[in-house]
Amino acid sequence: MSPPAVLFEGVSKIYPRPDAEPLRALRDVSLRVPQGRSVAITGRSGSGKSTLLHLAAGIDEPSEGRVEILGADLGRLNDAERTLRRRDQIGLIFQFFHLLPHLSVGDNVALPAMIAGERDYGGRVLELLERVGLADRARERVDRLSGGEMQRVAICRALLRGPELLLADEPTGNLDDRNGQRVMELLLELAAEGQRTLIFVTHSEEMAAMADTRLAIHSGVLEPS
Amino acid sequence: MIRYLLRGFQAHLQSGRSLFVLSVLGVALGVASVSSILILNRSALGAFEGSVRAVSGDADLSVLPLTPTFSERLYPRVLASPDVERAWPLYRVDVALAGADEVYLEVLGLDLFVPRDVPWSEAPRDLGQALTTPGFVAVSPQFARAQELEVGDRFEVTSGSRRVSLYVGALVDFRSLTPLASTTLVVTDIAQAQDLFGRRGELHQIDLTLRSGVDASTAIRRLERRLGPSVRVRAPEQRTAEAAGLLGAFRLNLTALSLISLFVGGFLVYVSTRAVLVRRRGEIGLLRAIGATRAQTLVWILGEVSLLGTLGVGLGLSLGYLAAAANLERISGTLTNLYMLEAVETLDVPPRLLLLSGLLGIGGALAGAIGPALEMSRRNPRSLLAGFVAEERLGRVSGSVACLGLCMLCGVALWCYWVGETWRARGFVLGVALLLTLPLASPYIVRTATRRLSPRGFGLRYGMKALGLRLHSTAFAAAALAVAVSMLIGITLMIGSFRRTVDLWVGETLQADVYVTSESWRRARDAAALDERVIRGLAEQPEVIAVDRLRQFFAYTGERRISVAGVGLASPPGRVPYQLIEGEQGPALEAMQAGAGVLISEPLARKAGLEVGAALEIATPSGPRSFRVVGVAYDYTSELGGAVMSLETMTAAFGRGAISNLALYLQPGTDVQMVVSRMRRQWSDVPLRIRSNRDIRREVLEIFDQTFAVTRLLQVMSLLIAASGVMLTLIVLARERVSELALYRALGARRPQIFRVFLGKGLGIAAFGLGLGAIAGVLLALVLIYLVNRAYFGWTIAVYWPWRAILEQLATILLAALAASIYPALRASRTPATELSRESL
Ligand SMILES: Nc1ncnc2c1ncn2[C@@H]1O[C@H](COP(=O)(O)OP(=O)(O)O)[C@@H](O)[C@H]1O
Ligand SMILES: [Mg+2]
Repeated sequence: MSPPAVLFEGVSKIYPRPDAEPLRALRDVSLRVPQGRSVAITGRSGSGKSTLLHLAAGIDEPSEGRVEILGADLGRLNDAERTLRRRDQIGLIFQFFHLLPHLSVGDNVALPAMIAGERDYGGRVLELLERVGLADRARERVDRLSGGEMQRVAICRALLRGPELLLADEPTGNLDDRNGQRVMELLLELAAEGQRTLIFVTHSEEMAAMADTRLAIHSGVLEPS
Repeated sequence: MIRYLLRGFQAHLQSGRSLFVLSVLGVALGVASVSSILILNRSALGAFEGSVRAVSGDADLSVLPLTPTFSERLYPRVLASPDVERAWPLYRVDVALAGADEVYLEVLGLDLFVPRDVPWSEAPRDLGQALTTPGFVAVSPQFARAQELEVGDRFEVTSGSRRVSLYVGALVDFRSLTPLASTTLVVTDIAQAQDLFGRRGELHQIDLTLRSGVDASTAIRRLERRLGPSVRVRAPEQRTAEAAGLLGAFRLNLTALSLISLFVGGFLVYVSTRAVLVRRRGEIGLLRAIGATRAQTLVWILGEVSLLGTLGVGLGLSLGYLAAAANLERISGTLTNLYMLEAVETLDVPPRLLLLSGLLGIGGALAGAIGPALEMSRRNPRSLLAGFVAEERLGRVSGSVACLGLCMLCGVALWCYWVGETWRARGFVLGVALLLTLPLASPYIVRTATRRLSPRGFGLRYGMKALGLRLHSTAFAAAALAVAVSMLIGITLMIGSFRRTVDLWVGETLQADVYVTSESWRRARDAAALDERVIRGLAEQPEVIAVDRLRQFFAYTGERRISVAGVGLASPPGRVPYQLIEGEQGPALEAMQAGAGVLISEPLARKAGLEVGAALEIATPSGPRSFRVVGVAYDYTSELGGAVMSLETMTAAFGRGAISNLALYLQPGTDVQMVVSRMRRQWSDVPLRIRSNRDIRREVLEIFDQTFAVTRLLQVMSLLIAASGVMLTLIVLARERVSELALYRALGARRPQIFRVFLGKGLGIAAFGLGLGAIAGVLLALVLIYLVNRAYFGWTIAVYWPWRAILEQLATILLAALAASIYPALRASRTPATELSRESL
């Protein structure tokens, strides 16, 4: 039996604050996401959604509890090993796209491959851009693109190295409804095609409804909704 | 406002400690360079001034010979002048302390009967003892302590081939007169001095005071008329001014070089100010929004930079002092060896000099900050608060800016060509234009080159490519490095060429096998007489086939002090110690030896505008005499210039005098070193310096290296500043691009990868700096060799490429740049991926 894509066991995240009580961004969260599923997480601003995704991506470490990604206990890995897992198994998508303005559309998509030291990625980059309808703009600078187009480029970047796990933090948060809808559909479609696990954060009920599973988070406490 | 300024300063400090430290360091090193040179220059003059004041402090005027000495008969004529109240004769001679390595003393013979209000007039309590004890002298307590002498002890000095025993009769602290007085002054009775070291009837100086109400300049004119054409009359200030003039070229060149470091330091302030302002633009925007005017913002920013500059100045002045102290001996050696001036014993640091260096430092800092400060204060508050993207108007205009720079350089070059040699300083103007072109051209070059680079992979190359995106920091760091590199390469190339030229020249002109002089010659010149017996003894050695004799002193042609040499050439055919630029070797030498004319040195020819056939007028005891120039010879021993005549001509014109140097030609095939050793043994009781051709050659190069050692210091300082610039820039990049770095980490870039990307950036900046700097350095060397040196020193220097030294330096710079990248690279690689969370890129 294959391990779950994401496993949280009693995870808490506490941020110390200089002049106040430590802030408990996550409280005793346990979560099991089997591979190939899509999960939507909703919750108010500041409730701990991003913190949860960061922990899942191995960007941050939990204060308490255990996080496993595809069977690997992140707590037992050092920073370099966690980084490599992130590089090879996880695709990240952000609310603010985080594209590099000085690189072309194609180079932005290619960035993970460059980081991984791959050589032949040109074909895959074009294929992906084709898939999201931006193939003819590969050589343009990203700051010429609209918000929706930028997020599609960011999705291509996340998918380039064929990760098993996609983590998207409010991927439509900066887009208007129509564009948001299209981006969300695209994301779910691409995740499903490759039988990838997708965890995304959203404010929109509509979009949350598109996922296999819906979870809500309130002041750091995770509950099904 | 002030409170706000101080608080802002504190915030500045806290928000970017390394940035702050590096920019303070930049200013400090620049100020250190400038102030150390200013202090050394000043101390050199101070030493001269100190000795003038110690010897002639109570005199209104000094009567000085235009030749080495004048007759005692002038003394009564001075006294008889109605302008003169009192006058006293002086006999001065430089001697060497026997048994010590190059410790020289200046013996000052005074008429102890003339009442003077100087400390030594009371020193010998018993005047009779001072007059009757042979070798009775007063020495400084500092000298006595250093040599472990007490009153009543005897010590030995040498003058020429003579040894003289002196008796410590009294201690006199000349420093109580003036703090810069030499501690190696030795005072004795004038008759004793004449008997022990020279001849009765000759004087070196007559000091005098004027009757009250007599105007000094009138008195000078009247005295000069009264005393005839073999003397000049000068006030103490005039003598100091003359020494300053003598050193003018030397001082100017060092100062110019030191200013380059300050220039480089200005870049650091530019980069750091810009970084700090970009980071704090929100704060500035808020201030503007709530009613601060543009002028207030500007004042606030510049005030902060002045505070930073002040710290840099404080640190720089201390560093400068230390650097000056460390180089004091070298400068002193240069002054005494090449300019025949006083040795420098103490640093003279007048407050106005500190003030000047300080103002230069703060000025440099403000000049670096004014651009970013104006830019920031001009923006409207909304754009500041909106968090504009700081990039990159510079990118768009970089082409035109580079073009402008090149046009300026070409314009200046053409202008230099056009004004020709009429304007001495044109070399400096061209040099400055060259250095200014670097920052103007570098944005375009960095941008164009990095655009071409395709980012395959994520490592060094990726880092280099990204340099083009932050031109404001990277291009100027590259430019600062380029300026430092060009100075490094330019000077190395110039010195290397010069050294090789001198080496070849020495090889050509040092034709004899053994050279003999005395220990005191280096300072005393013609007072360092070789005894006739010694000369004969040496000439009669079995291996010796010919002997050249030399007598040399300083004399004046117009206002110019030159070395005048009388030579008795006996050199075998084909072994002529002169290499002519102008005139035919054979006929010229024959004419010279026959008394039909003189050879002059290249610096004299250039500076006085003399050519073959022209007349050189030299002051002699019987008035100025004209000598026909029969040849111009290469001569790198002194920039003061000189003339060479036959011994007979010299005796006829200047009277009899002592031979101070011999050049011995040995039978072919003789083991020179063996003969030298034997002669040294044989003449061990005579204070001679007997050296082989090889020894002298080595010594010449040693003096050469010593002379240029100070420029090494300046080179190192500017390199340090440039390395700080690289580090500063990379730190700025690491801080400004936190979210970009966090993105890389989030996408799976490992720390070593980010480290490499940053190393790539450092390498890229170094590569641009080195490339640009190497080109500019070669051009700068040509400017130094063909324009500056010709105009100020008058030497012909052939260009040689000191490849090894240059390659070594390039490698050092590259390593320095890499080393400077390590800390920022480490910091960048530690950026946590969580930094990405809120900010947009
Ligand atoms: N690095 C941090 N240091 C301190 N507090 C943080 C940090 N990151 C997040 N927080 C706090 O943790 C809580 C949860 O944040 P986050 O997970 O970003 O919320 P969400 O994404 O749901 O809006 C917030 O109160 C936030 O202020
Ligand atoms: Mg969030």
